[in-house]
Amino acid sequence: MMLTLLVLPALIMFFVSFSQHPKAKFLLPVSSFAILLPIIELFVLPKPYAIAGSYLVADKLDTYILLVSSLVGIGVTLALLTLDKHVRVTAKAYRRFYRFFAIFWVGLTVSILANHMGIYWIGLELATLSTVYMIKTNHTRAAHKEAWNYMIVGAIAISLVLFGIILMYASAKPILGEDAMRFDLLLSHAKEIPSPFLFEMGFAIATVGMFVKMGFFPMNLWLANIERASFYPVAALFSGILESAVIIGFFRFSEIAKEVNYAHLFGFVFVYTLLTIFIVSFLIFRAKDFMRLFSLSGIEHMALIALFWVSGGTFAALLHFGAHAFLKPALFLSTGVLESKGKYRIAGALRGYHGKKGTLFWFLVSLFLLAIISLPPSPMFFSELYGFGAMIETAKHSDHMLAMIAAILLLLILLSVIFYRFVAIYQSMKYEGKEEEKKVYTSELFALVIFALCLVALLLPASLDYLRSIA
Amino acid sequence: MIDFLIGLFLATLIVALFTSRLYRLILWYSMNSLILGLLALFMGTALDDRAMLITGIATILIKAIGIPYLLKNLGAKFHFVRQIQPEIKVQYAIILIPAILVFTFYLAEPITHMIHGNANYIAISISSLFLSLLLMMEHRNVAPKIIGFLSMENALFLLGITATDGMPMLVELGIFFDLLMAIVVINLLFHNEEANL
Repeated sequence: MMLTLLVLPALIMFFVSFSQHPKAKFLLPVSSFAILLPIIELFVLPKPYAIAGSYLVADKLDTYILLVSSLVGIGVTLALLTLDKHVRVTAKAYRRFYRFFAIFWVGLTVSILANHMGIYWIGLELATLSTVYMIKTNHTRAAHKEAWNYMIVGAIAISLVLFGIILMYASAKPILGEDAMRFDLLLSHAKEIPSPFLFEMGFAIATVGMFVKMGFFPMNLWLANIERASFYPVAALFSGILESAVIIGFFRFSEIAKEVNYAHLFGFVFVYTLLTIFIVSFLIFRAKDFMRLFSLSGIEHMALIALFWVSGGTFAALLHFGAHAFLKPALFLSTGVLESKGKYRIAGALRGYHGKKGTLFWFLVSLFLLAIISLPPSPMFFSELYGFGAMIETAKHSDHMLAMIAAILLLLILLSVIFYRFVAIYQSMKYEGKEEEKKVYTSELFALVIFALCLVALLLPASLDYLRSIA
Repeated sequence: MIDFLIGLFLATLIVALFTSRLYRLILWYSMNSLILGLLALFMGTALDDRAMLITGIATILIKAIGIPYLLKNLGAKFHFVRQIQPEIKVQYAIILIPAILVFTFYLAEPITHMIHGNANYIAISISSLFLSLLLMMEHRNVAPKIIGFLSMENALFLLGITATDGMPMLVELGIFFDLLMAIVVINLLFHNEEANL
């Protein structure tokens, strides 16, 4: 029953997408709000709560991630109402977009709630494949090319994840049998795994697959190019929902890997994320359009979340994750308006807004832009404080304390480069360029207001207590 | 018999790497899948595992017959380029392929000590994965890249049946479902794309 309620909005979306009635799309934002009811019930129910046997189990972590991704889903359905006002899209392509969005949503709900490595992979693969067509909705040569690119690189990434899962399963099968696929049992028997090397090998391969999927080294520009070529709601879905499902997989796998050999896990993730942020910070410095800028910034934040998580800063990682999941889709969705006078016009992008809607729009976008670079009172400011605190704490207990402190300092320098670039871009958007009138629509503004309220809610004491209780 | 089939599995993949005609490449993919299906049937019989037998039959029906037939139909419908010359020259491929095989056996060496029975099969699965990646890389056209992706799925399947004596049935069926979904998406992508093929 609970599972039916959770996938009901997506199913409604799937069936409504076949309707040719021009008003049918207005039903979708309303129906998407319905997903909040079962999620609220999940928050109240005792954890862990079995939704579908031992395959889908809601615990505190996945309930939180499901709530965040569902709120992003609601925001995107609202912004989709005015997609045709900003870009050229045929009615048929529009309907197909909704159809694949629905499949994507089902896949990710399954993936987030999965307590089974195989089911997790199946959900993620379903979401990956459905995204391919969403990219192709934009009928340009670049979008066609990037859709194929996503299909092929995405397939390689997801195959690496499956490869890793098979090795992890093989490592634990002698003690757990077919139950070696279950995350909870793997975690509780992590220390008894007869071949830890095999498990670690599988973990490393699966992690590389997940990191490639999020645009980490060496595929830093892969995701940015795809998001540039596709319509802006696709980028919002990537950053708010798809990456949530990928990162929860990383959380689950790394929890087990932490029990198997913490030093190996930490060293591997630390070097990988540091390398990613090193490259991404310079790419951000050279970014000349909003989509690539936000996309690259997304990679930076996902790398930070992974780093905080393995450093023991679980609370910081989850707070950072929530803030990023709301801020980045909000920025991607506002790109539809910001780029309405040209793709590469950063100067003056925050000028030319009139009336209450226009004023509220530029005010919210300014707040989001400054919040993404962790200016207080952004939740990211607090998460980075706690996250870096956790990293220093880990460094103090490490055998390589000086090297780690040096690496943390390097990381702070790289983050300053990104900070400087964002501030320069914000000033250019607000104080340079020509003033050209831009139109803001109610539905997209409503989506931004929802994201702003979610960010505020994230800082409420009750929310912070909940995140601490997960840690 | 299982050793012989594993050898044939690898051989079909290596031959596919040198193929310069699309329909012949589809045929080699079909052979590769057929051998994989037979392998699952033989191993399923040896282990008395009914789930693996079902998977073997599904592999033969879907991967060895269904998908190649569908790909050939798509090729005729969307006029795929049938002359697919690999970007890597034959003389270099002859050096590269054994190098990959030796490298993967070396890479898998620590793992093989930890797996009971069929230890070398893991190394062959990993090398098949790398060879499938090579197949994707050495062609510019989309159709051979798709065959490379499908061969990669076969390599993963081989790893699943050799390293773990079969994955849970639910996962196998889910992977098949995703594969069919991939074919649907590929079909949709080909629409209006004839010029780029």
